[in-house]
Amino acid sequence: MDVPALEVSGVSKDFGRIIALRSVTFAVQSGEFVSVLGRNGAGKTTLLNVISGISRPSDGSVKLFGTDPNDRVNKAQLAVISHEMFLYGNLTALENLEYYSRIYNVPDAKNRIDTVLQDVELKHRRFDLVATYSRGMTQRLTIARALLHEPKLLLLDEPFTGLDQHAIGMLITLLKKQKEMGRTILLTTHDLHTAAILSDRYLVISKHKIVRDGWMKNSSPDEIRAAFFSAEAGENDS
Amino acid sequence: MMQTAIAILKKDLRMEFRSKESILAMWIFSLLIFVIFNFTFEVSRLVMLEIAPGLLWVAFVFSGMFGLNQSFSLEKENGNLRAMALMPVDGGQIYVGKFLSVTIIMLMFEALIFPIFIIFYDLQLSLGMFKLVPVLLAGTIGFTSLGTILSAVAVHTRNQQILLSLLLWPLVSPIIIWSVTLTGMILSNQVTEAFYPLLLRVGAFDVIFFTLSYMLFDFVLED
Repeated sequence: MDVPALEVSGVSKDFGRIIALRSVTFAVQSGEFVSVLGRNGAGKTTLLNVISGISRPSDGSVKLFGTDPNDRVNKAQLAVISHEMFLYGNLTALENLEYYSRIYNVPDAKNRIDTVLQDVELKHRRFDLVATYSRGMTQRLTIARALLHEPKLLLLDEPFTGLDQHAIGMLITLLKKQKEMGRTILLTTHDLHTAAILSDRYLVISKHKIVRDGWMKNSSPDEIRAAFFSAEAGENDS
Repeated sequence: MMQTAIAILKKDLRMEFRSKESILAMWIFSLLIFVIFNFTFEVSRLVMLEIAPGLLWVAFVFSGMFGLNQSFSLEKENGNLRAMALMPVDGGQIYVGKFLSVTIIMLMFEALIFPIFIIFYDLQLSLGMFKLVPVLLAGTIGFTSLGTILSAVAVHTRNQQILLSLLLWPLVSPIIIWSVTLTGMILSNQVTEAFYPLLLRVGAFDVIFFTLSYMLFDFVLED
């Protein structure tokens, strides 16, 4: 069997007395699109931080493509999209993408930048400062920045937050395209509808641990909703 | 290997030239220091020569603190510090890029403020003043090599400016004191044989601070 794109084994993370993750274990195969569902504060962002290597787990281990997430080769295959832009407002869209293409050593950077800007419909605004962009445009540029180096694994942390319907539609189309291209995608969200449209598989995280791991095709929307809300109810009861 | 450092340097300088935020603020701050000291204390030229080197470095260092804070505040905005931690490069390269940008901006500011200093304190220009170039370079590099890593540490905290001052001052004091002494020798035209060994000592500290910071920067980027 192939080495999983992502392997999380018994990962726990605490910040002093605050527990963020408890013995989280799952694996994601290459090309899978997995949604992590959970309410705010369930530990979704911490999980992505640990997977991306920004944060070290207090216990357990994470492997990307069979090796350490902090391995440079792995980092080059990874992209993170979150509510943080990872962009400089005082630079134009083109300057931001040129900067990242140098950092990630993108071959034929000029053409690649053109392609990603076209994909997010921002080519006509490439010479404008990012500070002048609307929230939706900024998020589209964030996506362009993330896709620039053609990562094998995409980690998406609530990427739909604050977007208008047009931007949400564009992001869904882009993510479907990435999935067709065989990229592995891990999405955290509390939007069940979007998760159901995009994902092959879902994980429900509650009280800082995975309480459900299922396939979208084997679960009706009602079942997924029930799993999500029973976990929520459990949190409220505790 | 230096591709990342150069990319960060170019990005920082481009943003600085576009906004002129750091250099302008540093320049105005230093100008205020010179004006206040010049008009508050009416002292003889001899006494002025005694205090001028210290004043010059007070202006450099206080303004430099602003530059250091600004450098990593820019990275904290929009999560760019996190983006740096995700980069597939050695943390040392990121350090070199930030160090170079902070140092170049500070040296440019020093070049802009020094003529004002000469005018305010009525100092005589002479060929001997060229000896100031290595002194300013060595003193500034010592300050920024340590300041860059400590600024990256402090930016994770709420009281960034206070923490940076608390961490940086005790460690950088020897370099500043020696730089003031060396500057004093040049301005008073009394360069003794102690000049070069002292300059060498500042240079040695620069190398130590730079090497340690380069090696440790990976840990600073982690959450």
